[in-house]
Amino acid sequence: MLDDNIYEAFEQIVGPENISQAPAIIDTYAFQWAAEVLNVLDGKPPARYYIRPAAVILPGSVEEVQGVVKVCNRYKISFKAFSTGLGPWNCVSSTNTVQIDLRRMNKIIKIDAKNMFAVIEPYVSGAQLQSETMKFGLNCGMPGAGPQVSPLASATSMCGMGFTSASTGFAGRSVLGVEWVLPSGELLHVGSIGITNDPDWFSGDGPGPSLRGIMRGFVGAKSGMGIFTKVAVKLYPFPCKPEWKVTGESPNYEFEIPNYLKLYVINYKNWDELANALRRFEEEEIGFMCYHLSASATLAGFAKTREELVTQLASHGRLKRPLTVMIGAQTEREFEYKKQVVEALIQETGGKDYTKKLKIRSISYAEGLRCMYGFHGFLITGAFQSTHGCMDNIDNSVHMAQLNAPLKKKFIKKGVIIDDQGDGLWLASFERGHMAHCEMPTMYNVNITESVEGFVEYANACDEMDLEEHLGLPFFILGDKKHEWAGPHCMNYHIWLRKIKESFDPQNIADPGFYISSKKES
Amino acid sequence: MTDLQAKLIEIVGEQNVFKDEDVLETYYKRYADNFLVKSPIKPKLVVKVKKKEDIQEILKLANAQNFSVVPVSSKAVDPNASDAPHSENTIILDLTEMNQVLIVDRKNRMCMIEPGVSFGQLFPIVKKEGLRLLTPLLPACNKSVVTTALEREPITIPRYQWDSSDPLLCTEVVFGTGDLFRTGSAAGPGTIEEQRASGQAQKNPLGPTQFDPFRIIQGAQGTIGIVTWISLKCELLPDTRKILYVQAEKLENLLDFLYTLLKRRFGDELFIVNNLNLASLIRETSAEITKLKGKLSPWTLIIGLGGRQPYGQAKLEFLEAELNDIAKEQGIQLLNEIENISNEDVIKIFDNCTKNPWKLRYLGGSQDIFFLTTLDKTPRFIDTFNKIVESTQFSKDDIGVYIQPLVQGCNCHCEFNIYYNPSDTNIKQKARELFEKASIQLMDQGAFFSRPYGIWAEEMYKRVSPVVVDSLQKVKAIFDPKNVLNRGALCFKEESA
Repeated sequence: MLDDNIYEAFEQIVGPENISQAPAIIDTYAFQWAAEVLNVLDGKPPARYYIRPAAVILPGSVEEVQGVVKVCNRYKISFKAFSTGLGPWNCVSSTNTVQIDLRRMNKIIKIDAKNMFAVIEPYVSGAQLQSETMKFGLNCGMPGAGPQVSPLASATSMCGMGFTSASTGFAGRSVLGVEWVLPSGELLHVGSIGITNDPDWFSGDGPGPSLRGIMRGFVGAKSGMGIFTKVAVKLYPFPCKPEWKVTGESPNYEFEIPNYLKLYVINYKNWDELANALRRFEEEEIGFMCYHLSASATLAGFAKTREELVTQLASHGRLKRPLTVMIGAQTEREFEYKKQVVEALIQETGGKDYTKKLKIRSISYAEGLRCMYGFHGFLITGAFQSTHGCMDNIDNSVHMAQLNAPLKKKFIKKGVIIDDQGDGLWLASFERGHMAHCEMPTMYNVNITESVEGFVEYANACDEMDLEEHLGLPFFILGDKKHEWAGPHCMNYHIWLRKIKESFDPQNIADPGFYISSKKES
Repeated sequence: MTDLQAKLIEIVGEQNVFKDEDVLETYYKRYADNFLVKSPIKPKLVVKVKKKEDIQEILKLANAQNFSVVPVSSKAVDPNASDAPHSENTIILDLTEMNQVLIVDRKNRMCMIEPGVSFGQLFPIVKKEGLRLLTPLLPACNKSVVTTALEREPITIPRYQWDSSDPLLCTEVVFGTGDLFRTGSAAGPGTIEEQRASGQAQKNPLGPTQFDPFRIIQGAQGTIGIVTWISLKCELLPDTRKILYVQAEKLENLLDFLYTLLKRRFGDELFIVNNLNLASLIRETSAEITKLKGKLSPWTLIIGLGGRQPYGQAKLEFLEAELNDIAKEQGIQLLNEIENISNEDVIKIFDNCTKNPWKLRYLGGSQDIFFLTTLDKTPRFIDTFNKIVESTQFSKDDIGVYIQPLVQGCNCHCEFNIYYNPSDTNIKQKARELFEKASIQLMDQGAFFSRPYGIWAEEMYKRVSPVVVDSLQKVKAIFDPKNVLNRGALCFKEESA
């Protein structure tokens, strides 16, 4: 609970209807997917609730955000931004922290269709943005988390791998400019929006060094460096005719597949064949989507129910290392060209077109366009979390997958995580195969303490493997403890990261719990 | 011999420390006449280095003895004078002999190179492996590849530029403090050799973890760190080529077509030049350029298409047919060739470098004004620039224009080239007046000088919020707290040391 005078200071900025510290309200912010994992990591029981914020504040403008942050500075209260808020990293990391919920800032400020970028506020979802950009034949990148999450959060603060990353890239590399409330409450405009004469959002770099360099890295600072109130993100060509006709009722939807869109699942016998195929498909630059999900995950992606998935798993033992490719085109000629190349590549790479053997409903096409396959990860147990997540190239991802399988099997054998034969994974290609990342979605039973604890033990072992085998830095290196563990293996980067925090936020006003803390606390 | 000289000799050996007036003069001449340099300063010493350990030692010495260090990696003269000292007490760190090509990796479409590697050196090596570099428009052969990537110079194939930082990937850098660091996935865990054994190829420029130090180093004009190698994104070299053209009397008539190509991700090389620049790219002498220029339309959009076996021919046929349909729909005449220019001549400007810098071919001197904007705003800037040319009575026939879409079409590089005869004092003065006046007026009109060299820096930083400047200075204070790297450049003034 905040002291009355502090509560009133916040209330004066946002109005009484936009602040609350009622237990029923603040509890909802502590209830998060995978919160039980964080609790175990903190040495606590695997509760579904993480730490409750001192209060929840809903500013409606950048000025109000600045005002709230300045009050935080005045009273030495930390803040944590929250937009669409998927995942426990959106929770506060200490009770002396207010949650700044940005849901009132939900406008698409601008779509510059010619120059292919959009300017959005924090609570615009991917689905909203895509619906609007489609009208111009354009698309936005969306993360594997799905279309319900905030593209601003992906671009500025979180991670940013998606099922369409082959053609829509990585969220952190799609940023053209930001409006950024620094931990001090000052307002920073990064890039061409920061100039005084005719500012516009087309470039996020300069003058001189790019301040995007301290905004985020491979993963975002998760509000540890302030609050982003607007971002300009690149838009990409919509892969086919921008038509969208869905009928039926949940969960039995039908989608009218637009012209010039085709999904392939191509089966390969082993990792070498798959790696070569992924590389070759990407070199030819034809896939709207181009990624590998393990056989079981591929089947889950197309399944509507748990029962259906179990039946499918039993029927498709021959599906070994599938490559999923979706092609799209604007004209019949383009479509024919791409189909010919796909067929030739299947021959060239020794794959088997497995598409017709699978039960792929029309709605799976819509889910592909909408980046929704990730939801199917909840199908079996209702809980999963990923490990590894290192990002460099295809060979590294394959190597990671190969090394991980025996480790995962060890934990499956212990009975603490769900049996996916050790190879449940997602290997995504970025920017036409220039980069790749591999993560291992792992299912556990959220209601069984041993299962959650077993998952955490497995996740820690995965992180250890990444360091020992030089596979790269995993994506969940967040907070002091993890940075201080990983930094000495990686050029002591944590020292530099901490210097940035200390320079911009010496008092740790921006919640450092999922970033790094300043040690200059007064 | 000064104490400083003696200490530098201890680090790199006597043969690599130069104090002779003629050597210093050689470096001074590279930038002394550049319009971007207000008051040229001669360096105190020139030091040649070949090892990162020596760079570390020298920077530690600079911190101890309070002198400034300006790195130089190109043998070519930098038209933007980024190697000009801004502080009296400066030594030049010459990296041109640090020129090893460390890795060329066809499978991962990348190479790893040291700062002194030139385009002339690298092109044949990567081509042999079936790779192409993402380069500025016809770079000088003796220009450093690393410098162009670090300076965010525009590349000619916009659809391969996913992020403004491309083609730069990972870096190894010595920060101003003297500390060695590796950025992106190269940071670790493991040495580069251990990373490659795990399958990695230093392809991910992001990180490590929650910051992107490579973005701070890039565009910094050597003020944050001295880079000892970079990994560079390459693409596959096409074996089948086709060049198409659209010509126009007015620039506006090219833009909708160009926008459509960018949106469809059609075309490899895509850029617009005016007739003088097209002639300068194709011909070698002033007389030839003048002759050709008169026969060309004012504006040309150049579209390079490329494909590789076994699907290259089919790709080119499909692309050409699509482009023809789009052109027909938009009432555009798409040309297979231009009169007086052979397609072979045009293809030569791609995947190639020149020993005869194309901007010096026409009159021997050129000063460039460039900035970022969007394609639709370019006619307005050109109109403004032309009015300034008229007002300064500079010859409008001696102006080159180059428009390069970037970042998959989200913005563009707009460049004016002021060509002049450097031995004609009167014309040179007029060129300088035009340069100074136009730079300011274009900035005032919203031209984003994202790479503010020399005198541009002060003007540009006046035109951004003080929070931007303050944030950059905080960053500088972290990585180069004593301001030893290129002291005085950008918004890092000498007094802050």
